[in-house]
Amino acid sequence: MAGALTVCRKELADHLGSRRYVVLFALILLLSTLSAYQGTEYIKNNPNAGFMAIFSGARFGFSFTYLMVFFGPIIGLALGFDAVNKERTSGTLSVLLCQPIFRDSVINGKFMGGTAALSLLAASTIGIMCGVAMPILGFGPGFEDALRIVLFALLTIVYLTFWLALGLLFSTVTKKTSTSILLSISTWLFCSIVISIIAALVANYAVPIQMPSGPFNPGAQGTQEYRELMQRRTTIQMNIQRISPAYLYNEAGSSILGTMGGSFGFGELGRGTPFQRLELTQALATRWPQILAIVVGMVVCFAATYMLFLRMEIRPEG
Amino acid sequence: MIETRELSKYYGEIKAVDRLNLTVYEGEIFGLLGPNGSGKTTTFITLMGLTVPTSGTATIGGYDIVKDSRKVRKIASMLPEGAGYYEDLTAEQNLNYICQLNDIPKPERERTIKDLLEAVGLADNAKMKVEKFSRGMRQRLGIAEVLIKKPRVALFDEPTIGLDPQGTKEIRDMMFRLNKEQGLTVLLSSHLLYEVQQTCQRVGIIRKGRLIAADTIGNLSKKLSKWKVTLELELAGAGPDLIREIKGINDVMSVDQEGSKIFVHMESDRTREVSEAVIKHGATILLMRPKEHSLDEIFMEYMKEGDQ
Ligand SMILES: Nc1ncnc2c1ncn2[C@@H]1O[C@H](COP(=O)(O)OP(=O)(O)O)[C@@H](O)[C@H]1O
Ligand SMILES: [Mg+2]
Repeated sequence: MAGALTVCRKELADHLGSRRYVVLFALILLLSTLSAYQGTEYIKNNPNAGFMAIFSGARFGFSFTYLMVFFGPIIGLALGFDAVNKERTSGTLSVLLCQPIFRDSVINGKFMGGTAALSLLAASTIGIMCGVAMPILGFGPGFEDALRIVLFALLTIVYLTFWLALGLLFSTVTKKTSTSILLSISTWLFCSIVISIIAALVANYAVPIQMPSGPFNPGAQGTQEYRELMQRRTTIQMNIQRISPAYLYNEAGSSILGTMGGSFGFGELGRGTPFQRLELTQALATRWPQILAIVVGMVVCFAATYMLFLRMEIRPEG
Repeated sequence: MIETRELSKYYGEIKAVDRLNLTVYEGEIFGLLGPNGSGKTTTFITLMGLTVPTSGTATIGGYDIVKDSRKVRKIASMLPEGAGYYEDLTAEQNLNYICQLNDIPKPERERTIKDLLEAVGLADNAKMKVEKFSRGMRQRLGIAEVLIKKPRVALFDEPTIGLDPQGTKEIRDMMFRLNKEQGLTVLLSSHLLYEVQQTCQRVGIIRKGRLIAADTIGNLSKKLSKWKVTLELELAGAGPDLIREIKGINDVMSVDQEGSKIFVHMESDRTREVSEAVIKHGATILLMRPKEHSLDEIFMEYMKEGDQ
């Protein structure tokens, strides 16, 4: 355990000092603060929106949830994708594993260090958003809202560590960082953009809606039949998108926040679904499968990494 | 100190290490000599628990390398082939990390690091980033890292590869000093004959994962001379008749003349017959002795043996 803590401290220090982390942190912080500011504008115009709208009220598509949907994967993957293979090729891993530590200390330490860096990023961003919004609004979150924020922060951290664990897995199965970075970027694009396009295409194909021929008839869109078809499309689209942890996070996060203003994918940029506030207990009751899926995904990725790492042969040449 | 019994590591069809039986005694410098790809690195990483053997067992200081791998790594250090360092950290910071991993208490760390840097001649470069280090400096930093845990055994995998003669000498002197002053047992691998000849008390020759021979250099020479004897002669008044007569002796394979010296290569020891011939032809023996074989020749010889 002492070994793992040592590795963790080193990894954390490395992350905090790395250009990669600092740039992503700065970007997220800047956009989040802007979105919080936009949120306060929204709240001023919609007095019963409530404090939580700072996380969802931004009209230009970059609410905090959306930022995490879009950038979350790349943040987590960026901290993990070269954690193992870089040390393997550079020969530091052989030196490390000749020390009297248990081998799993190294992988545990790397995971812990990354998790600490991600927690710092998520928690301080959310904290700063609240800090920016409160003086402008003149009021802060009540007890329930504070609880929601804490739960939301925890969800965000778990979500980010899922991507970290996936990055570590990529880093363990590949020998070259150039391979793992490609894997990471493909996964990122797939989960945050491509999946929503595929989902829309599949839904449109599976549920064809015949536009009435002849002169344009706006009344046709109001029919019961049309609405049912649209509903079926949305359901198919949603279920396909649920392959992506980013989508699951979006669903769970929005519900915990008590807003449904989050948006997912390019197709829905800026098109917030109607405001619908769920009670916290109700939110957790309906969204636990999403939360569980993210947690399980993270555990599975890390467990696979752990097993592979423990069996791996360490040679400097790779 | 190190003992392997039928230690094997196979990669599918490739037998990287093949039923290796090796003993390294406490306090000696043992050289594992073999050409590239003969299994030296595989042997070393197996001993340190960086990979698991396919079969066979080995112990270091009595600890099983598989079951007690961590205890092995408490008493044994390795400088891996192509050891790496954290390039953006200073020498001191690199050592500090290794100190922490070895549970060296904080108050002792500073002292330990300073002493080690001094011992390997990097005291002036303590605050320099490793990315600016030369090959020789890196290797010396590696030795400092190896010594942090105060090991009883140290494994050096091709420690002088890519170093200039000066750097090579420094590393060798350091190994001698550690062996002498601290009684450190050293297992060294090399593909250079000259190096093990210079450094090691006992040598094991490894080829295609098999240990072909292990002994002191003197004994290896003797073993070789059992198969082939070369007699070095310096004569006064030797004519072509004499040379012809010597060539005619049973078991004499060839006679070489280099300046005033004559080398008689024989299948078995025919020194008596040779001297009788010299006397019969009325020549005077100025010098006559069996020639020592250099490890070079032994190495080549063993390599050939292995081919058969
Ligand atoms: N991971 C591996 N998979 C397959 N063959 C390997 C692997 N690692 C090493 N080898 C083979 O094992 C043999 C011994 O390699 P090595 O121990 O590195 O030799 P040396 O250190 O003496 O140069 C070589 O033939 C090498 O090609
Ligand atoms: Mg080697």
